[in-house]
Amino acid sequence: MIAHAPILAIVVPLFAGFLTPVVSIVAKRFGVERARDWFVMGAAILMLLIVASMAPAVWRGEVLVYKLGGWSPPWGIVLAVDGLNLLVALIIASVVSLIAIYSVVYMERDSGLEKYYTLLMLVTAGCMGVTLTGDVFNLFVFFEIMSISSYALVAFRRNWDSVEAGIKYMIIGSLGTSFILLSITLMYGLVGSLNIADLAGKIEAIKATQPLPMIVPLMLTLFVVGFGIKIAMVPLHAWLPDAYQAAPSAVSALLSGATTTVGVYAMLRVSYMLFGALAIGTMFIILGLVTMVVGGLMALTQRDLKRLLAYSSISQMGYILLGVGFGTAMGIQGGLFHLLNNAIYKVLLFMCAGAIVYRVGTSNLDELGGLGKNMPITATLFIVGALAISGVPPFNGFASKWTIYVAGMEAGQPICTAIAVVMSALTLAYFLKAINSMFLGQQPEHLREVREAPLPMLFPMLVLAVFCVVLGILPSLGMDLVRPAQGAVMNQLGYIGSVMGAG
Amino acid sequence: MSLNYIIAMLLFTLGIYCLLIKRNIVKMVIGLGVLTNGLHLFLISLGYREGGIAPILAGKMLENGATAEFAAAAVDPIPQALVLTSIVINVCTMALALSLAIYIYRHYGTLNPFKIRRLRG
Repeated sequence: MIAHAPILAIVVPLFAGFLTPVVSIVAKRFGVERARDWFVMGAAILMLLIVASMAPAVWRGEVLVYKLGGWSPPWGIVLAVDGLNLLVALIIASVVSLIAIYSVVYMERDSGLEKYYTLLMLVTAGCMGVTLTGDVFNLFVFFEIMSISSYALVAFRRNWDSVEAGIKYMIIGSLGTSFILLSITLMYGLVGSLNIADLAGKIEAIKATQPLPMIVPLMLTLFVVGFGIKIAMVPLHAWLPDAYQAAPSAVSALLSGATTTVGVYAMLRVSYMLFGALAIGTMFIILGLVTMVVGGLMALTQRDLKRLLAYSSISQMGYILLGVGFGTAMGIQGGLFHLLNNAIYKVLLFMCAGAIVYRVGTSNLDELGGLGKNMPITATLFIVGALAISGVPPFNGFASKWTIYVAGMEAGQPICTAIAVVMSALTLAYFLKAINSMFLGQQPEHLREVREAPLPMLFPMLVLAVFCVVLGILPSLGMDLVRPAQGAVMNQLGYIGSVMGAG
Repeated sequence: MSLNYIIAMLLFTLGIYCLLIKRNIVKMVIGLGVLTNGLHLFLISLGYREGGIAPILAGKMLENGATAEFAAAAVDPIPQALVLTSIVINVCTMALALSLAIYIYRHYGTLNPFKIRRLRG
């Protein structure tokens, strides 16, 4: 491990974000505008290396506790890295690195790019902060950094649709974060602490008293609503299709790959670690099923590629919630494996959509057709992603969905499993429709001259597609990757002991 | 003292009412501000103590036996730090929301959220 690795993983993107405009001005002065893009790419890859350097120690079973300013746990702010944080941090760092590479060409026609890169790095810093921190108010602050930067990113192009999507996302999102703040306030009033491990121990003691104070389920509900808005759980999903459709594709990829992953992480950390899964399994199962079904059915009727991907994104969140809700080791493992896979193929699909928008200028399925001849590589990569998300055998989606099905049967929930299988078939149906109307069929006259997407855009897509295939052929590799995370979710006492013992 | 909590709850409810009922984005943003201020009042009241002193440990406080007395009299400084942080975050949210509202008015010529519905599906 690099010394100070946990804090460096947050500080590197934060400083890189604010240095980008400076680098941009200097680069313009010397006539090398590309230097800015290389700087952002370098920062993202440096962050990935820092996070990866923590992996060996965490996978050995350690909880890395980093005391900020040397203050001991219950009083100071700590960063605590266990298996679960590490998995999420790895996902975020990889996704952001690939998006930084992708943005170089995809965003080049926009102006004000130094602001785009600043916001991109700020979202990253926010995601990293939420993931690595061991303090619940610190988590809220980083969550706000992530949210506010992502509102600005959605509205980045400032045309009518992105502004509309931005303000919707902003109002719903701010309401959600204020619920989180209210819950933290109640928690501080109840037990007088902000450290997650300390709080978990004290809430455990309160839960033992009979009857259970009503305030404990209330706090949990407020947290679930707040984080549920970020992962677009169904009654709270209204902002997501608009935001994903109107934002630039690179931003949609970032939102689906990084911020929703962070939302799921925060939900898991709070519900399993703080409240010790206070009868929450059934609620997650129900919410997961509703999310899965509504997202899938809405996706069927879409005529816009990015909107279709947005609804399928909601649907996939349902699988993760379902797997986690089963509460068994295998269910949580399946849910986390699906979280990893979802980040991989969802980012891939949004990048393919971006490649089509970049070359054709529209993502409306009615205006596309016959692009398979013009963009063979993009078509192949999109089909890989589509098959993976539908859970077709040699790809990674199958491995994680299968784990969730098996966990469902073992947990004695055959009906839930059956619904999940049917929804998986439905996923294949709407992706076949999308593939058919984009890459096959009659080619409109004006699309004759369309060329293949440029190489810097194809490269990150190719990397993700390779991951889709590798994790599909060797599912045990993916399982090994998520096993420490699953262990960490279920090891509440170990986390409390490690963090509190570090003082 | 309980007046603080009642007012905090009133502000919070008023904010939610604004967000749900008002048909003007600027008013909704104001509602969001009122709601957060209710939260801040709640948070700061948690750490308040009748006749308390500022939690600064200095001078005579450091003498023998005075620390227990200090701990019994001082207000809780953590909520104050939290509120300060939250106010800064709130200012950012407001600034971004109002600047988006300006763009909305330029594109749509209205601030009624029920008329700003061109994205559908």
